[in-house]
Amino acid sequence: MSSSVTQTAAAGSIEASKIYGEGDTEIRALDGVTVSFEQSRFTAIMGPSGSGKSTLMHCLAGLDRLSAGRVFIGDTYLDDLSESQLTELRRDKIGFVFQAFNLIPTLSAEENITLPMDLAGRKPNKEWMDTVIDTVGLRTRLDHRPSELSGGQQQRVAVARALASQPQIVFADEPTGNLDSRSGTDLLDFMRHAVSDLGQTIVMVTHDPSAAAHSDRVIFLADGKIRDEMIEPTADRVLDLMKQLGD
Amino acid sequence: MFKVALKDILARKRRLVTTGLAIILGIAFLTGTQVLSGVLKDSIESLVGTAYEGFDAVVRSPEEQDLGFGQQIRSPIPEGLVQQVDQVSGVRKALGVVETTSAQLVGTNGKIVGSNFGPPTIVYNWLDDPQLQVGVLKEGHKPAEATEMVLDFTSATDAGYKLGDQVTVSAQTGSEKFTLVGLMGLGEDGTLAGGAKMMLFTTPTAQRLGQLPAEFNYIAVAAEEGTSQEVLANAIAAALPDTQVLTGAEFTTENQKSVSQFVDILSTFVSVFGYVALFVACFIIYNTFSILVAQRTRETALLRAIGAKRKQVLLSIVLEAVLVGLVASVLGLVGGVALAWVLKAFVGTLFTVQSGLPTLTASAIATAFIVGIGVTVLSGLVPAWRSTKVPPIAALSEVSVDRAGVSRSRIIWGTLFLLGGSALLALGLADAGPNPLVLFGLGAVLFLVSVAVILGPLIAAPFSRLLVWPFTRGTAITPRLAGENAARNPRRTAATAAALTIGVTLVTLIAVMASSIKASVESTVNSTISADFVINSSTFSIGTGIPTSAVVEARAVPGVALASPVRFAPFRLTDAYSQQQAAADPAKAQKNPLGAGDAAPPGEDTFMLGIEPQSYFEINDVGNTQGTPKDLTAGTFAVELKEADKHGWNVGDKVPVYFAKTGVQELILAMTFDQSSGGGSYLLPLETFEANTLALFNTDFIVYVKAEPGADLPAIRKQLDAIVADSPAISVQDLGEYADAQTAPFDTFLAVVYGLLGLAVIIALIGIANTLSLSVLERTRELGLLRAVGMSRKQLRHTVIGESMIIAVFGTAIGLIIGIIFSFALSVVISADSPGIFKYTLPVGQLVIITLVAALAGVLAALGPAWRASRLDVLKAVSSV
Repeated sequence: MSSSVTQTAAAGSIEASKIYGEGDTEIRALDGVTVSFEQSRFTAIMGPSGSGKSTLMHCLAGLDRLSAGRVFIGDTYLDDLSESQLTELRRDKIGFVFQAFNLIPTLSAEENITLPMDLAGRKPNKEWMDTVIDTVGLRTRLDHRPSELSGGQQQRVAVARALASQPQIVFADEPTGNLDSRSGTDLLDFMRHAVSDLGQTIVMVTHDPSAAAHSDRVIFLADGKIRDEMIEPTADRVLDLMKQLGD
Repeated sequence: MFKVALKDILARKRRLVTTGLAIILGIAFLTGTQVLSGVLKDSIESLVGTAYEGFDAVVRSPEEQDLGFGQQIRSPIPEGLVQQVDQVSGVRKALGVVETTSAQLVGTNGKIVGSNFGPPTIVYNWLDDPQLQVGVLKEGHKPAEATEMVLDFTSATDAGYKLGDQVTVSAQTGSEKFTLVGLMGLGEDGTLAGGAKMMLFTTPTAQRLGQLPAEFNYIAVAAEEGTSQEVLANAIAAALPDTQVLTGAEFTTENQKSVSQFVDILSTFVSVFGYVALFVACFIIYNTFSILVAQRTRETALLRAIGAKRKQVLLSIVLEAVLVGLVASVLGLVGGVALAWVLKAFVGTLFTVQSGLPTLTASAIATAFIVGIGVTVLSGLVPAWRSTKVPPIAALSEVSVDRAGVSRSRIIWGTLFLLGGSALLALGLADAGPNPLVLFGLGAVLFLVSVAVILGPLIAAPFSRLLVWPFTRGTAITPRLAGENAARNPRRTAATAAALTIGVTLVTLIAVMASSIKASVESTVNSTISADFVINSSTFSIGTGIPTSAVVEARAVPGVALASPVRFAPFRLTDAYSQQQAAADPAKAQKNPLGAGDAAPPGEDTFMLGIEPQSYFEINDVGNTQGTPKDLTAGTFAVELKEADKHGWNVGDKVPVYFAKTGVQELILAMTFDQSSGGGSYLLPLETFEANTLALFNTDFIVYVKAEPGADLPAIRKQLDAIVADSPAISVQDLGEYADAQTAPFDTFLAVVYGLLGLAVIIALIGIANTLSLSVLERTRELGLLRAVGMSRKQLRHTVIGESMIIAVFGTAIGLIIGIIFSFALSVVISADSPGIFKYTLPVGQLVIITLVAALAGVLAALGPAWRASRLDVLKAVSSV
């Protein structure tokens, strides 16, 4: 059930394998995964614990390296890159949203948003910045430190940061995992909006069917392999499919 | 709970290594200095002991002046006395001894051997008695001819001479050559090196060199078989009531005592730095425990939540501190022995010290353990107490980061400490109480603690941000992050910087005082001395001055208008005021390096200059005078007005003064003057001086030369150089060189002080490295995030290094400020004492260098933590809790 690599792919993997340990203790976290993520689409990766969904994302994002196979962002194969080239790629081409602790506590919300560009020594695109800030609705909170923001606001700042440098792709690792349902829904709406109206590409790892329902397409992983895929998901259909896969 | 404490230590090995390192260094320095002074004392006592071990009794003149540091100036005794002693029953042999410092050994390189700070060079006459002879011949034979000499073997090696060589000796009468016919040493077979440099000549030669015509310094006596030292001494004392008689044992003890005094001063001096190092180490230990305990708040809370009592938690931290203190103290002791060994090698260039490894004394071990463990436990107790006060639930929910900064009680306590410290400083400076130095020290500590530790956190954050502000223009995020990181825990930053502050405060204080003293000397020399050249002797030893012929020759040089000789000698004031002073504070009188002998009446010891009134006042500007130089005739003297007022003297008064040579004399005060130039408050015309002082002092210690207007100065200098060319110890200097020469010994002292303070700075750097390591550990997740969103390893390293530089510069800046405040306070006091002389001068260049070095040191301290931070596994860091 694997998708083919297309010309419009923002990122993807070809026969990606990740093996931990050796011999009897060998664990195949990823087992020949070939997948592509199209531009301007919101993709969710789902699967039970230990299915390899986080590993896949970490390898796609250049945070971890594969044992075999290849991963690419745009027309760049990550496996060929040195550590410092990977760092630059993360800085310039990739946006990140983690489950928690997304912000540098000593920097204001605005500084956190512009951090990747500041690290690169680039000036932010003013127009785009305004658009992003207005989209996440944080204009009045820009001077605040993370400790002065609510959990939902903090995650919105994190999404803004991920989008601010106009990356090729944004990876979000359980972005709503630490939020109450109301804030979680708000955040997913922002991400949906960023894809539909601003043309961004987002890949999100989640185990929450209602979060996955906000995406355009859901990929299901189990035991390091892609098991299924769903276009235009709804929460109920996702839940059903997960029950089936769990059996 | 013991198990918990032990497991904690094992789990945090690396963090504790650095804490331990601070204690180890502090203890090592303390132990090292203690061990060293023990070794020195032992060496010197045994060496002095073997030098005179053949003496059963010593006969000498009761008239004596003690110059301190082992130099005694005692009236010599006539040759004829030896015969009389020899005839006393119980005496096997009595021999006259010449023991004088009036000649110097000149090495093959043409330079004087030894330094002014080292042990003296002593001229002895060869005593033709194996029992009495000082030391034992190792090679060659005794000096038989007037042109032969024997050297101790270490000096011979140092100077580059071997048997048969012609040895140059610089004496008052100029340089002379002697044939080296023997090498000697101490101990049974002459293989032990002596403390002093020893030159042995035939008796007539030694007498000539020591300017003792038909005289000896003392008589050494060997007893007949079966006569005890006491019996012998009593018999001689009864036969010769006008002499002073000591047993050989008493003589040895006396010699040892005077040398020990010097060793005591040396070891006290070094110990002070040991305590400074320890004080700095305290800060670091305290700081490390604070951070460790803060980071463990959650763990502590968990222990409390599952039922551990507060006391138990407290106990576990104390146990941890005891264990760390114990291990560190043991290692510190080992380090101390190693350090003593290194220091011994250094001191060995000044003294001959016993060979072999220095050994630990019980008291050194006890001190190390008490101080090491005590300091660690106390440092751990405060943060532990604070952490257990947090209720379990609050601690569990709190993110374990120490964010405490500025509180009201901090401001109140800080201000109280600051005021108290200032008050104590002021009292100490005002010379109040029985021991003003203690007040000053206590005040300085309070002041430092208040500014660096209590008030420091108030300014740490704004300072950090201000410091990086110029670098944060545009999009530079690395300096901004560094600044914010230093600012986020002001208390931690301030406490870490405080360790450096102490060292920098002391360095600044000393640098400012040194530059001020130099500037003062220079300005005093330039404004009060109008000579063109100064003939100056580079040695301090009594009796090694400039030959009196030099003045006469200098006057004959064409173009020379004036040549004015100055001599120097100790004496004692015995007027009513001085006697009162001596009675009021006998300890003070005894501490004075110019204590007079037992036979002298009580009074105050000081020194006088012998001058030629007509020329002296032409060259030296002494301000307004009452009386004129013409009034200074035989039997008179001049004194600085300040001294005259203190003693209540007026011109024309008779003043009783005690001299070693002539006893109590009444001198007429013929002149007072407003300011002393060249340091002399008491000026005696040469007629008075010569009549009352030993031959030893009747050589010039300085000669001022003034040229006629328009004279050819380089030509004059050439001729003056020729006059003293024979004596390597004497040189011709212009006023600039003279001023430099006055402060030159000071530079050596400064180098030693800077070296010792360097240790305190190194400990402070360990502290910075320690804090950074802990901070990096604490911020693992944050660092991971930064790396994930694209911070390069280099940028991350720069962030950590930047933070370190901020801490270092912060500590240095505060140190500079406090150092300048302290030095200014001192200068005010000094200026009040002698107005117009002290010139407060800030060595701006040096202070800038200190700051730059501190910033650089900050970089060094951060290298380890920065490297570790940049090597973090991004994924693990991001997902760590």
